[in-house]
Amino acid sequence: MTKQAELLQGTLDLLILRTLELRPLHGVGISDRIEQVTRGVFAVGPGSLFPALHRLAEEGWIEGQWTELENKRRVKVYALTKTGRTRLAVEKRNWEKVFTAMNRVLAEES
Amino acid sequence: MPWIKRLTVLYRRVFRRAEVDKELDAEVAAYFEILVERYMAQGMSREEAQRTARIKCDGPEQIKQQVRQAQMGATIEATLKDVHYAARMLRKNPGFAAVAIFSLAIGLGATSGIYSIADALLLRPLPVPKASSVIAISPVTDQVLPGLNAISYPDYVILRDHNRTFQGLVGAAYSFLGFAPDRERLPKMKYGMFVSGNFFQVLGVEPTIGRGFRSEEDLSVGRDNVVVLSHDFWVSEYDGQRSAIGETMWLNGIEFTIIGVTPESFTGIDQFLRPAFYLPFALSPRVGTADNLNQRQVRWLTVKGRLNPHVGIAQAQGDIDAITSELQRTYPKTDGNLRMKVESELQFQAEFAPPRTAFIIMLGVLAFCVLLVACTNVAGLLLSRSTARAREMAVRLAIGAGRVSLIRQLLIENLLIAIGGGAVGLGIAYAAVRLFTSIPLPSDLPLKFSAQLDGRVMLFAACASILSTFLFGLAPALITTRQDLVSALKATDAVSSKTGKPWGRNLLVAGQMALSLVLLVVSAVLVQGFRADLIRGPGFRTDHLFVMSLNPSLLRYTDAQTKQFYKHLLDKARLAPDVKSAALASAAPITIGATQIGMVPEGYQLERGQEAITIFDNVVSDGYFDIMGIPIIQGRGFVESDQLNTPTVAVVNEQLAHHYWPNQNPIGKRFHLRNETGELIEIVGIAKTTKYLSISELPLDFVYLPFAQNQQPQMTLIAESESPAATSLAPVLRQVVQEIDRDMAVFDARSMQDIYINRAVKTPTVIAEIVSTLGVMGLTLAVVGLYGLAAYSVSRRTREIGIRMALGANPLSVIKMVLKQGLVLGLAGVAVGLLLGFFACRAITSGTFFNFGHVSVLPFAAVSLLLILTTIGASYLPARRASRIDPLRALREE
Repeated sequence: MTKQAELLQGTLDLLILRTLELRPLHGVGISDRIEQVTRGVFAVGPGSLFPALHRLAEEGWIEGQWTELENKRRVKVYALTKTGRTRLAVEKRNWEKVFTAMNRVLAEES
Repeated sequence: MPWIKRLTVLYRRVFRRAEVDKELDAEVAAYFEILVERYMAQGMSREEAQRTARIKCDGPEQIKQQVRQAQMGATIEATLKDVHYAARMLRKNPGFAAVAIFSLAIGLGATSGIYSIADALLLRPLPVPKASSVIAISPVTDQVLPGLNAISYPDYVILRDHNRTFQGLVGAAYSFLGFAPDRERLPKMKYGMFVSGNFFQVLGVEPTIGRGFRSEEDLSVGRDNVVVLSHDFWVSEYDGQRSAIGETMWLNGIEFTIIGVTPESFTGIDQFLRPAFYLPFALSPRVGTADNLNQRQVRWLTVKGRLNPHVGIAQAQGDIDAITSELQRTYPKTDGNLRMKVESELQFQAEFAPPRTAFIIMLGVLAFCVLLVACTNVAGLLLSRSTARAREMAVRLAIGAGRVSLIRQLLIENLLIAIGGGAVGLGIAYAAVRLFTSIPLPSDLPLKFSAQLDGRVMLFAACASILSTFLFGLAPALITTRQDLVSALKATDAVSSKTGKPWGRNLLVAGQMALSLVLLVVSAVLVQGFRADLIRGPGFRTDHLFVMSLNPSLLRYTDAQTKQFYKHLLDKARLAPDVKSAALASAAPITIGATQIGMVPEGYQLERGQEAITIFDNVVSDGYFDIMGIPIIQGRGFVESDQLNTPTVAVVNEQLAHHYWPNQNPIGKRFHLRNETGELIEIVGIAKTTKYLSISELPLDFVYLPFAQNQQPQMTLIAESESPAATSLAPVLRQVVQEIDRDMAVFDARSMQDIYINRAVKTPTVIAEIVSTLGVMGLTLAVVGLYGLAAYSVSRRTREIGIRMALGANPLSVIKMVLKQGLVLGLAGVAVGLLLGFFACRAITSGTFFNFGHVSVLPFAAVSLLLILTTIGASYLPARRASRIDPLRALREE
């Protein structure tokens, strides 16, 4: 259980950071975007989104700012920070490593 | 930067809980609303939309809960876990923890103790609000005695009224005043302080009861007889009664009204001298002996100013410079050479008494050396543990722990050690402070030496602990976590790989040896110097003598009356029972009453801008040299026939004679008193050079002037007793004084022996004790370090030694081998230490004020020998253990 959660957590971080790399978004925007890009494979509900956002903000990788939408609604919009950008690069490399390693393992088995 | 961010996040979470929660609420609510709106746009009713949203994501409360857990988990929990783990590790190795904590306790105790002493002597800021904006203004002079670098009242008034960079400038001057609560009682000598009318207001000191001065109370001379009491004085004389306000008291026979009491926290504007009461300058002509308020050449004020906001010291200096050059032009006679410097209170205090500053710096450097040795010790321990823990770390790294988190873990362990060391160290610091405060102050002056373990010292100890954590802990932590996983996991002992030779530890131990040698050599040189000073003696006799001070000006005697009084006093004292002889001096030697005077030898070329040569002086009566046992080498001492109407004469010491008339007969030479235009005085005698201010001083230029030609109100009566117990003269002499004037107050009455023991013997003894304690601490720590290293390397080499013995090495050769290893380190340390020690001793013995002994071979040789012996001792135990290794068991151990 914990093992899986950790794995998920790592992936989620990468997903969020990558999503924010393109442009700053608020919570719903991030969920929508992830769902849209992954064609519904990852559906990130607020229950996992918010803890992840706060953790990332605490690490200093992303930064939240209260802004007003056109319809006067106030939402917190998150943006990638400078350290967040470097972090994203690291995570990307890690992911690629894991990805190729996994592929090799699978290729060997078949 | 990320750390700062982290801390602010943590701070907000702990202290701004509600705010953070509210923000989270709003954020989650906004998320919800957007979803609800979206569903409504798809055609659902509001209720339906809300329900769907709630199903889609677990309720808002759960979300918030999860967020909080994520936050907690990220920082606090991890840290707490680290602390728990660290505490467990320390408990598991009580020996290691004890030695480490003990070492650090010594180092931190020494530094904290010295810090609290430095704090009391120098560092503590003025006890006023926003002390950092209060700065000192003083004239640039070549005088070294405190109290003489002062400013005249008229100059102060001009500075006060014409500056543009200060909120206000205050002036203050100490004065001895005879205090009596009512007319009938005998006056007691108390230290009062004349202050400018704006004193309390500018310093921001609000009297706790009553009020401070109003500016107009300092305007017209002698109109408002008002006085503000210090808190201590109010408590001791008026039992802290509020009714004291409005009461009258008598100062030098003049009636005053008490208008206020200062807060307890305000102890005056000097670290030591605490005035009993404050009165406006306007009263000084009435209370004092002379009207100095219009005398531009009488410099007697300490001036402090509170800077305007956003004004720097440099800007203030420019402002003051402009005013001083104006003063130079307007009053060339008195202020032609006047220059002022504006500096922070700390700078001012540091320059105020250079010997004090030098002393503090010396102790500080020595204490820091002890801390360094202690940190080295702990670092050594950690390094040897790091090899033992190599496997643990390798395993943790292998299963995926980040290096950073491991380093954090190790640093937290070290921090626990440092906190433990700091706590125990405070106890040691307390002992150091107790020792230092035992230095007695031989005077009736209200001097308070208040070294204490207060918040500032605690803060210092905490900072030093944290600093030393990084000092000793970072390198081992880095080394422990940087290793080749595979070899560490394979080998039973990471060090068995070639790279692990404990070069670092060898270096550390040799360094410790070197530092402790420096500490010991310095303390040996100091102790030897002090001892030699004491054996040589002060150059005057201290037995059979009793001294007491008098000041008839407090009873507003005229000059003629004063002259009459002292003549009667000498005559009557010399006839009193048990009195063999008597003399007068403006100050008894090695008391704090020393004064300085300007002089210019006839025909001497002064440097540009120099007004005169400043030297120490003493105004003495006939018989002084005889009674003090100071030999007159050439010429004569003062005699009764030296009078106002006879040629003006002086006696100088050998040092001064050699200094200004080398290879000439100084008798008959003349010098100008005070400045180039001053009165010409003929030298009639040469006195042997003695000690004047302290037993450890270097030979000083000194001049004696006859009392009859240089009369002054405050004098000290010195009487020689027939019987060895000089104190038996106290009632006799008091009787003599009372017979002449029953109102005359006597102060600083004590035997010369008492003064000598307190000033000359006790002070250096305490200093020597502190320094040698530091030295012994350093040595102890170094021995522990050396022993640790030797024991460690023997345990690492068990197998090797086993093989050697199996091949026929006898126990003696094994002992020799281990001893050799220790000895090489010891010798290397001694060699480096000798070099450093030589420079350290050169530094302390080349002081301009004190003679801290001489650099001689003996202490170096003795300390080196001591160190080599302890080296052998410390490595002998492990060596013996090595020699008893059973080859069979050692080889089987693998």
